Amino acid sequence: MSRKVLTVYCLLVYAFLLAPILVVVGASFNAGSFLTFPPQGLSLRWYVTFFNNEVFMRAIRTSLWVAAVSTVISTLIGTAAALYYVQHAGRGKEAIRIAMLSPLLLPEVLTAISLLFFVYSVGIGTQTMFAMIVGHVLITLPFVFINVSASLETFDPAWDMAARSLGAGRFTRFRRIMLPLIKPGVIGGALFAFIISFDIFTISFMLKGIGTSTLPIQLFDYLRTNFTPEAAAVSTVSIVLTLVVVIVSEKVLGLRIHRF
Amino acid sequence: MTPGRTKGMGPYLLILPAVLLLGIFLVLPYLNIVLMSFRVPGQGTPYGVGFTAGNYVKFFTDSFYILQVVNTLWIGLLTTAICLVVGFPVAWQLARADMKFRGLAYGLVLSPLLVGIVIRSYGWTILLGNNGLINRTLLNIGLIERPLPLMYNALGIVIALVHVFLPFMILPIMAAIQGVDPSLHAAARSLGASKTTAFRRIILPLSLPGIQAGCILVFVLSLSAYVTPSLIGGLRVKTMAVTVVDALIDTFQWPFGSALALCLSVTGAIAVVIFARLTRMKWKAS
Repeated sequence: MSRKVLTVYCLLVYAFLLAPILVVVGASFNAGSFLTFPPQGLSLRWYVTFFNNEVFMRAIRTSLWVAAVSTVISTLIGTAAALYYVQHAGRGKEAIRIAMLSPLLLPEVLTAISLLFFVYSVGIGTQTMFAMIVGHVLITLPFVFINVSASLETFDPAWDMAARSLGAGRFTRFRRIMLPLIKPGVIGGALFAFIISFDIFTISFMLKGIGTSTLPIQLFDYLRTNFTPEAAAVSTVSIVLTLVVVIVSEKVLGLRIHRF
Repeated sequence: MTPGRTKGMGPYLLILPAVLLLGIFLVLPYLNIVLMSFRVPGQGTPYGVGFTAGNYVKFFTDSFYILQVVNTLWIGLLTTAICLVVGFPVAWQLARADMKFRGLAYGLVLSPLLVGIVIRSYGWTILLGNNGLINRTLLNIGLIERPLPLMYNALGIVIALVHVFLPFMILPIMAAIQGVDPSLHAAARSLGASKTTAFRRIILPLSLPGIQAGCILVFVLSLSAYVTPSLIGGLRVKTMAVTVVDALIDTFQWPFGSALALCLSVTGAIAVVIFARLTRMKWKAS
């Protein structure tokens, strides 16, 4: 394939990747009552409808809350596990890595169903947010683990030894050597965990209690019966929220988030 | 010698929370679902007393479910193949070509991952619907007289799934190609190999692990996809994952639903193993 053909081909693929996202954003400014083409003029009326829709606003609050709680938990657990993995794991290193990534490797539908049955079998049920948050922690854990262990790749045990020989205690060594090293990984992992959690569907769908719909679920329910551009406005706000997190992390904090 | 490895229980406390979390909320539930699939269906309760293999018998003797598995595998296979054809040149360009806008291109490849799956599928319903952007445009310029059936069928599901999972194909292939020493390619060329031969004999075999990883990822993900087939396929085309979830949510058939879910996953796993075997053989042969 000559270089020009390749470039054109790739541009087409990029257009394909962007198309549905751009279409959603574009549709949100449609002034008409239905999604029609061409749009019947530009308007922000669907954003107004959305912001006045208590159901969607509650779903956004639920999503943010679930994402915040599960991010904190999975960041703590994932960071500790990554520290063990890089510093202390001996023969079982590869097994630990696979175990930590397993929530990503197993089909999400099966994990969701298993968790649903499990929480009912042990009497926890889905009346509280517990089950949903556990599910979100499981799914987001690998992302924290990947980011923190990647940031520790450059870690040289000699630094720790040097500090110890200079008389630094365990806590001081952690604070002065380990913490600065893993900080970008921890923040990056946490931000990515937050984004992932905000978008999780299947787990939330199976494990939600009554009145605890997250934004993706509410949107999905709405789309099954409604065709107004309000869904597009909801989607656009959700996309913008994610973009803000990404831009803040990459441009302002200068982080490189490892997604894989 | 890694410091601290011999220092008592301290280090184990670091991994303990993760072990507990995965053990209690991943391993136990998976064991539980296997048990559940052998339980007796209940009357008014999720499951009854005793055990049976009846759920599996029901699955293997009902052509409805067999047909649906075949259908789901077919959709997964098609999605994987198209992702490979569409994604490989992009991965190649991202890995090799000196591009001015590589950062931007990389961001574009990743962008779908940052937008929720419901929103992406919704975008495709806007594009593919009978009154959607594509059909409206074609009708307006007079190319077609009635809307093309792009949604509520396997075609629509495959188009949307390709979009949803394309990054999972591109990224591993890109990583594999980046790992190939450029001087190998240059050496082949200097020894008189044509561009095509150098590609076929050097780049392709060396990037096979990436291709393999990408194909497995996309295939497994598309088998268990729920949102996209549900929104695009509507009630007319159902994949296995949709049937399973709906069976559990609407009718509370826990034992049978578990058996369905496990059959789907095991079928997927078998397909992956066969695929891995086949590609490894090819790999050695080349």
